[in-house]
Amino acid sequence: MTYLHWRKFKNIAFHASLYLAAIIVLLPLFLIVSYVFKMGASSLNLDFFLAFPKPVGEVGGGMRHAITGTLYLVAIASIISIPTGLLCGIYLSEFGKGKVANLLKFSIDMLTGVPSIIIGIFAYILIVVPLKGFSAMAGGVALSIIILPIVCRSTEEILKLIPQHIREAGLALGLPRWRVILNIVVKGNLSSLITGVMLAISRAAGETAPLLFTSFGNMYLSYRIDEPMASLPVQIYNYAISPFDDWRRQAWAGAFVLITIVLGINLLSRLLVKIGGLRHLIRRGIK
Amino acid sequence: MSSDIILQVNNLNVWYEDFHAVKGITVGYPEKSISAIIGPSGCGKSTFLRCLNRIYEEVPGAKATGEIILEGKNILDKSVDPVELRRRIGMVFQKPNPFPAMSILDNVTIGLRLQGIKDKSYLMNIAEQCLRKAALWDEVKDKLHKLGTSLSGGQQQRLCIARALAVNPPVLLMDEPTSALDPIASAKIEDLMSELKKEFTVIVVTHNMQQAARIADYTSFFVLGDLIEHGLSSDIFTNPKQQKTEDYITGRFG
Repeated sequence: MTYLHWRKFKNIAFHASLYLAAIIVLLPLFLIVSYVFKMGASSLNLDFFLAFPKPVGEVGGGMRHAITGTLYLVAIASIISIPTGLLCGIYLSEFGKGKVANLLKFSIDMLTGVPSIIIGIFAYILIVVPLKGFSAMAGGVALSIIILPIVCRSTEEILKLIPQHIREAGLALGLPRWRVILNIVVKGNLSSLITGVMLAISRAAGETAPLLFTSFGNMYLSYRIDEPMASLPVQIYNYAISPFDDWRRQAWAGAFVLITIVLGINLLSRLLVKIGGLRHLIRRGIK
Repeated sequence: MSSDIILQVNNLNVWYEDFHAVKGITVGYPEKSISAIIGPSGCGKSTFLRCLNRIYEEVPGAKATGEIILEGKNILDKSVDPVELRRRIGMVFQKPNPFPAMSILDNVTIGLRLQGIKDKSYLMNIAEQCLRKAALWDEVKDKLHKLGTSLSGGQQQRLCIARALAVNPPVLLMDEPTSALDPIASAKIEDLMSELKKEFTVIVVTHNMQQAARIADYTSFFVLGDLIEHGLSSDIFTNPKQQKTEDYITGRFG
């Protein structure tokens, strides 16, 4: 074999291993989505979205309470953690120098690594025990602790990508620093920041462990913040381990809806980045 | 030149931590002229320029001593608000840097809008004036609502000049404004600078000696933080007093 052949062989081998790695990465996603789609789509009907659970033994019913509950819990978590996370990320990127900032960065990295079940226990001790009962509030707080470090780090990373001379250009116009940060740095990258936030939300929407002993679950529709609340992941868990065929069928439908919500938020956030510039033009065109 | 000096620098020293970047510079800048600062890389010319609007403060560990007198006040004094100062001394940077996700029009008017001016027709008026002064109006008048970043490099740089002019500063600093541009775009910026000196005092840092010779009324030559020579460009480039200056402009040094 000549040197040239050997070199070409190495090239092909390396390419092949890259393709193989890509397939290994994509395969689980493809299998999960296709299997859940197959099992879930056949169990899905309009009732699933509109109806409440029926008593054991009766076929039918739906998960309206759990879908509502998941949206409600994610909303509570978002209200708590998104403003805090954004501000914290802006602080780290624009002012974060010295010991306090380093400690904060370290803490946030640690928080990202805390297992979600432990966050659940923390919310249990913090809220469920003193209030003597499971509540939507406790579930929302547990989810917010999951969202917070993701929003904070993504905000920091996005803002750090903006070259320093953009900030200097703003300051050189005689603008106060807070104006430069808010109107030029943050506003100029709003679509990327929103993407980071949405990815964090989609992560929280699929969490089960932190909700098991915080919002607990509920077979009825509830809007009360101080009462247990159903959520899709917990409902899926409860139905999936039940001995009833109809419940297990509904668990698949729930899994399908959940995965659609999560993937949907992901796709939406990506789209948002793409049309960031476009949207600006449209808004301008209307004026 | 004495009565018409707009910016007088006296014994300016700048340190980055322990590094002495600018060493005891004294120089005056006459009103409505172009002054160029030339010198080899690392000679402190950008640092010097960045002192004139106190943007050097953005670098952690930088400190400056001495005097920079604008309108009878030492702008290095702590009592001078850098925000107010920078409305009097504008700056254009080496890389064209229009603000992201902002239209051409918004880029020009943002300085005024964030100072609280809301009158749309007034802002539009200023924008047109400034874009005309920056020789960009004819190229962008039909697409004022497109993104500033969608323009070519040379157009972006002229947009940045228009943005700086909108705040109407009497002094305009330019830090190698053409070094990221092609020769044709550079020539446009040079023509523009010659126009600007009718209204503004321009101080420009440049790598390009031919550029300094072409457009500057006065030229300063820096080496390693020292001001070697300052004077009329015609003298500096044809009849330098210092051996180092002569070596540099003839290409034997630097």
